[in-house]
Amino acid sequence: METTELIEGKDISVERTGEEERKLEFKDALCASCGLCEKICPVSAIEVTPAGAMVRTEQDVSKIDIDENKCVLCGMCSCICPFEALDLKIGGESIKDMEEYPSLLKSAKISEDTCIYCKACETACPQDAITIARQLPERAKLVSGEIEIDKETCVDCGICEEMCPADAITLEHKFPSSDDPTVSSDIIVDKDKCVYCLVCKKACPVDAIKAVCRICSYGDYDINPEDSEIVGSSYIDDELCVNCGWCQEICPVDAAEVTKPFEGTLTLNQDLCQGCETCVMACPCNVLSFPQSTEPGKKPEKLHKDEKYCIYCGACQKACPVGAIDVERTKINSTPVRSKSWQKAFDSVKTK
Amino acid sequence: MPIGLKLYPELCHGCGNCVIACPVNSANSPEIAGGKGPTDDVEVIMIVEDGEITMRNSGLCGKCGTCAESCPVDAIRLEELE
Repeated sequence: METTELIEGKDISVERTGEEERKLEFKDALCASCGLCEKICPVSAIEVTPAGAMVRTEQDVSKIDIDENKCVLCGMCSCICPFEALDLKIGGESIKDMEEYPSLLKSAKISEDTCIYCKACETACPQDAITIARQLPERAKLVSGEIEIDKETCVDCGICEEMCPADAITLEHKFPSSDDPTVSSDIIVDKDKCVYCLVCKKACPVDAIKAVCRICSYGDYDINPEDSEIVGSSYIDDELCVNCGWCQEICPVDAAEVTKPFEGTLTLNQDLCQGCETCVMACPCNVLSFPQSTEPGKKPEKLHKDEKYCIYCGACQKACPVGAIDVERTKINSTPVRSKSWQKAFDSVKTK
Repeated sequence: MPIGLKLYPELCHGCGNCVIACPVNSANSPEIAGGKGPTDDVEVIMIVEDGEITMRNSGLCGKCGTCAESCPVDAIRLEELE
């Protein structure tokens, strides 16, 4: 039986061959330096690099260090990691998929039936885990009208071309010659682009444009409602997702549903806080921010939190150099813990 | 190898940015938070002495990297310690 450690870039794997093959894999890019693995490890084999050093300065080292001589490949770190950064595989299978081992109950889902593809979640997601792909309807099918330019009356001034908000009018500008003393050879309206807003008609100095918006005159009876439908799809990268709940909170139609791995409390000590911003940078869930003053002389709170987005991972507490943050985990949402020693280990990360 | 605070006094311009920016220093001393030098009885991590950065108490460091970020000449860094 031999334990070997392999470091590839900043990713680490610790492997032990023997009766059963065990392999602990660490993906550096997913780690938030929260320190839960360090806390739960029964043999103190894991050391987490200070979060401030990782987010503020460039470091060549991984976010955690695993001592392969101490690691017993028990998998507790892998089961408690809320970021999918650690994974223990036995005989090639992840213990997160094994019933015998507890796994955190965490998920994020977007209901395709409800989603209107507004992309608010995609923008808000602090881990860029959400991709919303949408296909917009053809603009020409959502408008109805007629437009015609009387080329005899038109003086080729180009005002309509300049003013058209839909870039639907094009003049073929040219330099006049003695045999053709005009400044434009043609004026073209792209009816796929025109929205019949009638700006050109109103702006034309010689009244050369005849245009009418049928919707304004008769309502949108000749618009097919199906043509205005927006089709799309949503995708959440489960590996990148930290289950913070931003998508759920920002969604205007309640299409997103998030289950968080931990419950607890986050307490900030405004007096101790010196405003160094390390916690704001370390938080993977965009829970913390520095509020701007709304008016001169008005002093907002130093550090603002919104626990709606907090998963109580403890990264902020670990990052704070002056002990101004306290994260308490009161509940771990997981599949059943079947062994007493594991229960004890899980309980150990509940208290501070 | 643990990561810790490392000084490069030969690069230091003595501006004192790090001393003021350091949240541990400012938590320990309102004078520092206000941009002044600390009084003698205050425990600080680092201080500018005779125009050069000097370590006073590296054990207080919370390794947040604020000092390193504020230093214009990379004279204070969070690095792997030998």
